[in-house]
Amino acid sequence: MRVDLSTAVGALELANPVMAASGTFGYGLDLLDLCPPERLGAVVTKGLSPAPRAGNPTPRIVETAAGMINAIGLQNIGAEAFCQEVAGELARRGATVIVNVFGERPEQYRAVIERCEQAEGIAGYELNVSCPNVDHGGMEFGHDPHQLEALTALCRAATRKPLWVKLSPNAPDLVGTARAAVAGGADALTLINTLRAMAIDPYRRRPVLATAFGGLSGPAIKPVALRMVFEVHRALPAVPLVGIGGIETGKDVVEFLLAGAAAVQVGTAIFRHPAAPLRILDELEEFCRAQGVERVSSLIGGLQWP
Amino acid sequence: MIARRDVPARLLSRRELSPTCFSLLLATSEELPAEPGQFGMLTCGQGLDPLLRRPFSIAGVRPLGREWGVELLVKEVGRGTGWLRRAPLGTTLELLAPLGHGFNLEAGAAAPAALVAGGIGLPPVLFAAERLAEKGAPFDLFVGAATAQELLEVERCRAAVAAVGGELVLCTDDGSMGEPGFVTAALARRFAAGQRWGRVLACGPDPMLQALGRWSITEGVVAELSLEEPMACGVGVCLGCVVELADGRRVASCKEGPVFEASRLAARWRP
Repeated sequence: MRVDLSTAVGALELANPVMAASGTFGYGLDLLDLCPPERLGAVVTKGLSPAPRAGNPTPRIVETAAGMINAIGLQNIGAEAFCQEVAGELARRGATVIVNVFGERPEQYRAVIERCEQAEGIAGYELNVSCPNVDHGGMEFGHDPHQLEALTALCRAATRKPLWVKLSPNAPDLVGTARAAVAGGADALTLINTLRAMAIDPYRRRPVLATAFGGLSGPAIKPVALRMVFEVHRALPAVPLVGIGGIETGKDVVEFLLAGAAAVQVGTAIFRHPAAPLRILDELEEFCRAQGVERVSSLIGGLQWP
Repeated sequence: MIARRDVPARLLSRRELSPTCFSLLLATSEELPAEPGQFGMLTCGQGLDPLLRRPFSIAGVRPLGREWGVELLVKEVGRGTGWLRRAPLGTTLELLAPLGHGFNLEAGAAAPAALVAGGIGLPPVLFAAERLAEKGAPFDLFVGAATAQELLEVERCRAAVAAVGGELVLCTDDGSMGEPGFVTAALARRFAAGQRWGRVLACGPDPMLQALGRWSITEGVVAELSLEEPMACGVGVCLGCVVELADGRRVASCKEGPVFEASRLAARWRP
């Protein structure tokens, strides 16, 4: 039996539902020999700001039980370098590219999108709203529905391409922020970003990370991510969702699809195994074949509720 | 540049080297050549916990019948390395290697090199020593450890140095073997007495590399330092292992390093 792996996130059609997540796959060309970007549903770039950023001091990462905490600090080469040095090659290879966008002020988000609109081969944008807004006392854009709606609307006005908002699991009101992003014009929602976390060195009596706090990712967060995808899907069933959080296997993908995701992103698994998205895709196909699922898209939102 | 590969690696043999350290010989079906100073990312468990691979500097590679052998020297410091110490022989792990840029064994070859290892920093230095010995290129070898028991692979070090008529200098923090004190002091004493090297190649704990970096810049000796930073991926995408350079850039040590010339590094390694 041939399995149809294609799916769509809103208007954006994808050859398969497995993407590489932002911050785990470089800018798309870093792992060509191990995981060619054109074989994935899409690649989401490392978060881009208008100008290059050096990121946080080290230590930036620490392993935890079935997971890790990172505080990279959004180190990146900047939108200009990405557009000049990377975007063209991704386009020539036939990769579907989602640019992850962030800024410390709303106009910085818009500046990244405006620059990328001039580049070739970019399929859409994903807003990282877990960034502190320096104009609002450092409160994260994604924590305040009013700020989030305004930011999304500002970015919406800058592009006609698909616009996704990556929701923070740390927001006080997840469904409220989801509604705000949609009200601002988001085409789809990615969830979840990392969970705010910390690790402590008991001998030194200090935080392990240089910045004390970071974001928890990996299999440890998968149950939280599934619950959040399901809650947002139940509240907003018409909104396309992209599931992310601890995906390691093809069965994990199935679980996210059943919870309501139209596609998924694989992140931390890539650190352990750079070809993880390809293996996961093979496992997904095998699962469908064994279960008699002809079209992967038929799984979306298919959870049987008790 | 040698192409990296992610391959199954069978745990062929293990040897206890000290109360804390052991060596592993891994067998792969594909040829995995590597240069001294390059490293590999190795799975250290079979489930999702511990989650990440661990980076290990490669101590040697060689054909092994119809397979390919990769040697690692490992210090047990936590869950991952503890698992490696107890995993049954025959267990299949995953090895992504070779990664990063190693030592430059060609530059300064006219004058002898000084090879300096501290503790579990020995693997890339031993690999470099045996490679230089094969080539007949002269070098002196400085190996330091906390105690005599923790001095690793002393006979191999001795054999490599003997092949080129160099000097092996052993140092222990507690004076239980060789010269008492740090290897960096032993090196500086000989330099002060007029001994000269074309280049210093070193790996060891960060304070040792910082001391060596400062000394090398002050004395005008080129030093290549193999750094160890916490690392999730080993292939430049997690950006956990960045090292700050003198020009302010933060670069992934897994890709631009792990070996850096001391003069390129930021203040931490400079006078």
